[in-house]
Amino acid sequence: MTTKTDTLIPAADITDNQSVAVILEGKNILICRTNGEYYAVDNQCTHQRASLTEGRIRNCFLSCPLHGVRFDLRTGKPIGELTKVPLKTYGIIVSDDGNLHIELD
Amino acid sequence: MSDLIKVKQQGEARCEGISYQDLLDDEKIEVPSYLRENTNPYMGNEDIDVARWISRDFHEQEKIKLWPKVWQMTCREEDIPEVGDHHIYEVVDQSIIVTRTGENQIKAYINSCLHRGRLLRDCDGHVKEFVCPFHGSTWDINGQFKGIPCKWDFSHLDQKDMSLPQVKVGTWGGFIFINFDENSIPLEEYLSPLPEHFARFPLHDYYKGAHVQRVVQCNWKVGAEAFMESFHTLETHSEILTFTGDANSQYDTFGDHVSRSVTPMGIASPHLPNVTEAETMRDILELSGRMATDSAEGHEMPEGLTARTYVAETNREMFSEIIGESLDDATKSELEDAILYMLFPNTQVWTGYHGNIVYRFLPNGDDHNSCVFETMILMRYPKGTKRPDPAKKNILRPDQAFSEAPEIGGLGPVFDQDDSNMAAVQKGMLASKKGAVSLASYQESRIRHLHQTIDKYLKA
Repeated sequence: MTTKTDTLIPAADITDNQSVAVILEGKNILICRTNGEYYAVDNQCTHQRASLTEGRIRNCFLSCPLHGVRFDLRTGKPIGELTKVPLKTYGIIVSDDGNLHIELD
Repeated sequence: MSDLIKVKQQGEARCEGISYQDLLDDEKIEVPSYLRENTNPYMGNEDIDVARWISRDFHEQEKIKLWPKVWQMTCREEDIPEVGDHHIYEVVDQSIIVTRTGENQIKAYINSCLHRGRLLRDCDGHVKEFVCPFHGSTWDINGQFKGIPCKWDFSHLDQKDMSLPQVKVGTWGGFIFINFDENSIPLEEYLSPLPEHFARFPLHDYYKGAHVQRVVQCNWKVGAEAFMESFHTLETHSEILTFTGDANSQYDTFGDHVSRSVTPMGIASPHLPNVTEAETMRDILELSGRMATDSAEGHEMPEGLTARTYVAETNREMFSEIIGESLDDATKSELEDAILYMLFPNTQVWTGYHGNIVYRFLPNGDDHNSCVFETMILMRYPKGTKRPDPAKKNILRPDQAFSEAPEIGGLGPVFDQDDSNMAAVQKGMLASKKGAVSLASYQESRIRHLHQTIDKYLKA
């Protein structure tokens, strides 16, 4: 079942190549913006569970601050040898009132 | 400038008919001196042993005496725009971290942890420091050792130089080069006369509009050689003969490390006697993949104009519009001909005002029977606007056709035709009873030049 979480944060609060970590229903989720688009992923690297909050974002890719694993924000897929496990991604939309909404499974 | 300037056809040693230098005489704009260079010293006609392409022993010699000594192109500066961005350059069994350490500073480190030897970085990316994923030895971006966990267990390292070993780095035209040999000649000397010849094409200001890679089942030299002569156009790319002066091409060598082929475009092949100017114009626009437009629709040639002039003027107008600069001083030759340089050993770059093709062939790891072929297309963007981000590399699977990479447009089908030879050349050489290849004296002289320079390194 899909739950819509209302009124998360205003979309305008996140600028390009920035991220904001939120806790939703006990899940630590990183909301990222790149090239004007918003993405939401689990805020935990699949290599060693490091927080991705300080990870650099460029062109749809988020780099883990610990060992530099890069994840494609669109699919969650990692690049390189350190992990083959993708990041969990969540659907995210900007509603008419300008707030972000996430789809939690 | 060379003493050989304006040497025209050289008797029976060249194809009958118009030469590239004759075509330059027809230019209305002052011809820059680099196009007037015409240097092709005789290098011999002996057969060349196929062992150079197929034997493990030759590959091992290259491993010891060639790759550790030559300047080699690793990536574009734009691929690592920010401090901490890095590219992993791999050649045979060597691995290098090419990283930006300052706005105008790039360093290249041996990609091996000084603790247990693990690769420090597995792939391209961005880090604030290099942390070995095995035990956590750490270096800052400048290669200075920051420490290892359980320092109490490593007092024996206190007196050792723990900075990351580096290799030489140089840049030209927006490309980053490395050289493993600390006693090598400077990059500037190695490149000569490339920078001078590319003065009208500031490649450092171009951006990478496409980047495609695929493994090809042939030795890296077989791959490179597929692009070093226009002789093969007749049989391999016969559909482009209506606008390609294949046998009119000029081939030049400049010192040990640079060679060039110039294939006139917008004229029909001397092999095809009855092509009309209108057919040449239509086909070059439709099939070349390098002109300002890829459709001949709506193009009517005014009476009395040649296809060569019409297409050059079309390119001049459309390229000027794209780059926001006047191209009034560009010759027809520069606007449409295939002017392709090779930088020894494995990098090839086309001149041009928009859409410059780059090729690179590297051994596929330690396998001498396959190689990694990469092509990039360097593009211009309007002056004063933000430089577009470089294209991400599109890695095709070995079973995919180059025409499955839409970003290289009309080049894809041409590469597929070349690809149909490359693996077959490797297999044919392995099967050869003759055990040697025979090269054309002139049209394949750049291949002989490549091998003579390889010999200079192997025998040094």
